[in-house]
Amino acid sequence: MPQLTNDHIDYIIKDLHYRGVVLDGFREEVIDHICSSVEAEMLNNKRFIDAYHHVLKKFGHTHGLRTTQQQVLQTDNKTAKIMLKNYFTIALRNLSKHRFYTFINITGLAIGIASCLIITLYISQDLSFDKHFANADRIYRLDSETHFNGNHFSLAVAPPLAAPTLLHDYPEIEATANFRQWGWRRVRRTTDNIKEQYTVFGSNGIFKTFSLPLLHGNAANALTEPNTVVMSRSKAEQYFPGENPIGQTLIIDNKDNYKVTGVFEDFPATTHFKFDFIFAMPGLEDSKDNSWLSSNFNTYILLRNGASPKDLEAKFPKMVETYIGPQVKSFFGNDFSMQDFAAKGNKIQYMLTPLLSIHLHSDKTGELGTNSDITYVYLFGAVAFFILTIACINFMNLSTARSANRAKEVGVRKVLGSLRSHLVRQFLMESILLSFFSFMIALAIVYLVLPAFNVLAERNLVVPITPLFVATLVLAALVIGLLAGIYPSLFLSAFKPVNVLKGKVALGMKSGAVRSSLVVFQFMISIFLVIGTITVTKQMDFIQNKKLGFKKDQVIILHNAELLENQHETFRNEMLKVAGITNVSVAGFLPIAGWGRNDNSFWPYGKQPSQENLISMQNWAVDTDYISTLGMEIVQGRDFSRAFPSDSTAIILNESAVKRYGFKDPIGEKIVTGNNGDFGHTITYTVIGVMRDFHFESLKQNITPLGIHLGKSGWSMSIRFASSNTASVIQDVEKTWKKFQPGQPFEYTFLDQAFGKMYTAEKRLERLFGIFAALAIMIACLGLFALTAFTAEQRTKEIGIRKVLGASVASIVLLLSKEFGKLIVISFILAAPLSWYAVNRWLENYTYKTEIGIAVYLFAGAAAFLVAWLTMGFQSVKAARSNPVNSLRSE
Amino acid sequence: MYGYEITQRVMELSDGRISLTEGALYPTLHKLEAEGMLNTEVVNIGKRVRKYYTLTAAGNATAKDRVSEFLDFIETMSSVLQVKFS
Repeated sequence: MPQLTNDHIDYIIKDLHYRGVVLDGFREEVIDHICSSVEAEMLNNKRFIDAYHHVLKKFGHTHGLRTTQQQVLQTDNKTAKIMLKNYFTIALRNLSKHRFYTFINITGLAIGIASCLIITLYISQDLSFDKHFANADRIYRLDSETHFNGNHFSLAVAPPLAAPTLLHDYPEIEATANFRQWGWRRVRRTTDNIKEQYTVFGSNGIFKTFSLPLLHGNAANALTEPNTVVMSRSKAEQYFPGENPIGQTLIIDNKDNYKVTGVFEDFPATTHFKFDFIFAMPGLEDSKDNSWLSSNFNTYILLRNGASPKDLEAKFPKMVETYIGPQVKSFFGNDFSMQDFAAKGNKIQYMLTPLLSIHLHSDKTGELGTNSDITYVYLFGAVAFFILTIACINFMNLSTARSANRAKEVGVRKVLGSLRSHLVRQFLMESILLSFFSFMIALAIVYLVLPAFNVLAERNLVVPITPLFVATLVLAALVIGLLAGIYPSLFLSAFKPVNVLKGKVALGMKSGAVRSSLVVFQFMISIFLVIGTITVTKQMDFIQNKKLGFKKDQVIILHNAELLENQHETFRNEMLKVAGITNVSVAGFLPIAGWGRNDNSFWPYGKQPSQENLISMQNWAVDTDYISTLGMEIVQGRDFSRAFPSDSTAIILNESAVKRYGFKDPIGEKIVTGNNGDFGHTITYTVIGVMRDFHFESLKQNITPLGIHLGKSGWSMSIRFASSNTASVIQDVEKTWKKFQPGQPFEYTFLDQAFGKMYTAEKRLERLFGIFAALAIMIACLGLFALTAFTAEQRTKEIGIRKVLGASVASIVLLLSKEFGKLIVISFILAAPLSWYAVNRWLENYTYKTEIGIAVYLFAGAAAFLVAWLTMGFQSVKAARSNPVNSLRSE
Repeated sequence: MYGYEITQRVMELSDGRISLTEGALYPTLHKLEAEGMLNTEVVNIGKRVRKYYTLTAAGNATAKDRVSEFLDFIETMSSVLQVKFS
C-alpha cells in the first residue's frame, strides 16, 4: 500500500478545513477515512488528485461533508451528559476568570440565602405549633368575650363547670379537659425544695382530649383522685433517677403529699403551653365551685369527627341563658333580666378557638403561655423575601453589566453556529452553578450562626437534615439560579453577532434602565428597613424612659416572701438596718404585667349596687410603705400612715378611678364593694388620697381605675436601695434571708428588669430587625460596589482622556457617583411614603407612642446615601487617581 | 475497527453489494458511542489520527438481541411469504 506523502496529507487537511469540516473528533475521522480511501484508489494507479476528488464525491462533496458533520454534531449535542459537561467546564472557567465578580455574587447571594433560611426556620417553627397533637384539627378552646359597663374582657378561661357541662350537654363533643394555672410551686422529694415553674391543675380529660399517652401509669384514672400528680419524663428522671416514679410521693409547698400516678413525654417546644407537673383537678376546691361568674379554667374540647364547630358555637347563647342567666340575676336582684342586660350593650359570649390558631392568633387574658403573633410571621416573611430579592437583583445586575465583556464571546459563538438556546443554556448553567455554590456556603453559614441566633431569638432551631429539606434546598437553588439567570441570559443571547463583532453593542452602562430600576428597588427596601428599625428602637426607648408614674430603678423584688409567714415585720426591720436600703414594702401587687391582680366591682356609698353604678376597679392590698418604696406620687390627700389606725378602711385611688367615679372632691368620699365578691357582706372604704396615674400594665394598654388599701399580700417584697454597690446590697439581703429561712431558695429580680421583660417580644423584634436590615443594606452595597467598580473599569479610557485634558480628581469622582447618587435619591423618595404608612400601622398597637418625625426619614435616607456613596467613592477615587498613561497606553 | 475499515469490511462480506455511505456511518457511530454501545481508542499514525471502535459489553448484548430479533423477523417473513431459505 503506497503511503501518502506528508504533503498529500497536508493538502487534504487544508482542503477539508477550507470546506468547513471543523468539528473536533469528526474532522480527524474524516481525514483518516479519506486518506485510507485515497491510498486504496491510488493502488489502481490513479493520480492523487483524481483519487481525492473521487473519494470526495463519495462523501457528497462539500455539501455532503457539512451535512454529515451537522448530523454528528446533533447526535453529540443530544447526549446531554457531554453537553452539560461542556457547559459546566466553560461556566467554571468563566467564573474563575472573573474572580472578583464571582466572589461578590456568591457572597451576596450566600448571605441572602442564609438569612432567608434562618428566617424560614424561625417562621416554620411558629407555624408548626400544636400540630403534633393527634387530633389537633378537632381540638378547640372555650373562650369568652364579656362586655359589661364599659369594661371589656377577652378571656382564654372559662368557669370550672364548663368542661363537665359541655361534655354532658352536647353529644358532638367527644372529650373535654380543663387546666387551672397555679404558677410556681415548691416541690421536694426528701429534703431540698426545688421551685418548679411549670405546674398546673388538670382534669383527667386531658389524656383523651389531647391524645396524650402516658409512659407510665394508667391514663384512665391517673388524675381522678385528689393529691395525685402526673409529671413529665425529664422531671421524673430528675426526681427519681433510675427508679419507677409510679406510687412515689412528692411534697408540695412543704405541706401536701402527692402520689405520682403517671409520667408523660415532655411537651415539644412547639406547644402553646408547657407543664412539668399536672396535679389532679379533684384536689382543687375551686374546681367544685358551681359559679359561672368566675372564670379561671382553660377549657379544651375535642369535637367528634365531622362535627362542626360553628354549629356548636350557635348553641352557646342557650348555654349562657341556662347557666349564667340565673346567677347574674341573683347577683343583681330581681329587677334584672337578660334582655335588659343585652339592651344596654352588655354581652356574655362564648366561642371556640381552634387549637392550631392559638399560638399565632390568640392574645387573651389567662393564656397558658406567651403566644406569638401572626404579624411577626408576616413581617419576618417579608424581610426574608426582601433580602433574597436584593441578593438576586445583585446577581442580575452584575451579570448584565458584564455583558459588555461577554458580547464578543456571544458574537463569536453565534457565528460558529451556536443557537440562541445554546447560549441561554450556557448562561443559565453559570447562574445555577453560582446559586449552588451560594447555597452550600449559605448552609455552612447557617450552621455556624444558628446557635447565636437561637440565643438572640430565644428559640431552639436546628437545621433539619431530612430528604425533604435537602430536596427543597436543591429545588430552591435551581429556581433561584433560574430566576436570577433568566434575564441576563436572554439579554446576552439576544445580541446580533454582526453588531457585536463590529463593536456596536452596548457597553455595560447603556440600556441600563432595568438595572437602574433594580438598584432603586434595592435601596428602597433598604431604606424602608432602616426606618422600620429606627422606629422600633425609638418606641422601645420611649417605653423604657417614659414617665411611668413610679420609679423602677434600684428596687429589688424579693420572691417567696410568704415563707416568712408572720415574721414579715421583723424581717422588714432587719432589712432597714442594712446600709443602703431606704424603704421596704411587703406587697405582692406590683406595677408590672403578670404580677398580682385583683379586680372587684365598687359602687358609691349609700346606693344599691345596680348595673348602672357598678365600677370595675383593680383593688390591691398593700402595706403602708408601698407608695414610698415604689415611688408613686400623691397628688391630693395623703399616703397611708401607721399613725392612723382608721387607715385599715382607707383607700387611695388613681386619677383614672377618680374620673370614673366622677368625684369632684374625692377626699372623704366612700365606696363600697362586696367582701370577696359577695354583695351580701360589704366593705366600705374611705378615700384618703389620690395618686398620679401610673402604668401598671404594658404600655400597649390604657391605665384603668385602681385603688390600693391596706391588707396582706405578702408573696413578695419590694426593697428600695440607694447605693451604687448593688452586689453588696444583694449580699446583705441574702444573708438576712438565710438567717430567717435557711434551706429555702433566695430569689429576687430587679424591678426595672421585670419591667423590661414585658417588652421582650418587641426587644427581640428590634434586635432581629436591626440585624436583618443591616444585612439587607450590606448586600445591596456589595452589589453597588461591584457595579461602580465595573463602571469605572468601563470608563477607564474616558477618565484617562478627561485627566489628560485637565479634569480634577474631585470632578471625576463626582462624575462617577452622580449616576448612582441619583438612583439613591429616587429610592428614598419612593421609600418614604411606604415606610410612613407601615410605621403608623405598627404604632397603632400602642396607646402611648413615640413621635417619628421627618428627621428619622431624613436620617435613614442620608445613611443609605452615605453608605452607598462610601462604597462608590472608594471605587471612584481609585479610578480617578489612576495614572492616565496606564489607561491610554494600550491599543 | 475504524470507520474506513468498517466500510471495506462490509463491502467485502457482501461481495461488493452493500456499500455503506459515509454520510450515514459517522453519525450512527457517534450515536452508538454516546449511548455507551461503543468504546473508542485513538491511535496516532504519522500525521493522521485513527479512531478505533469496539463493542462494549452492553453493546455486545444489544447486538446479540438485535441479531436474534432480525433472524426472528426473517423467519416470520419467510413463513408469511411461504418461501424457504436455503
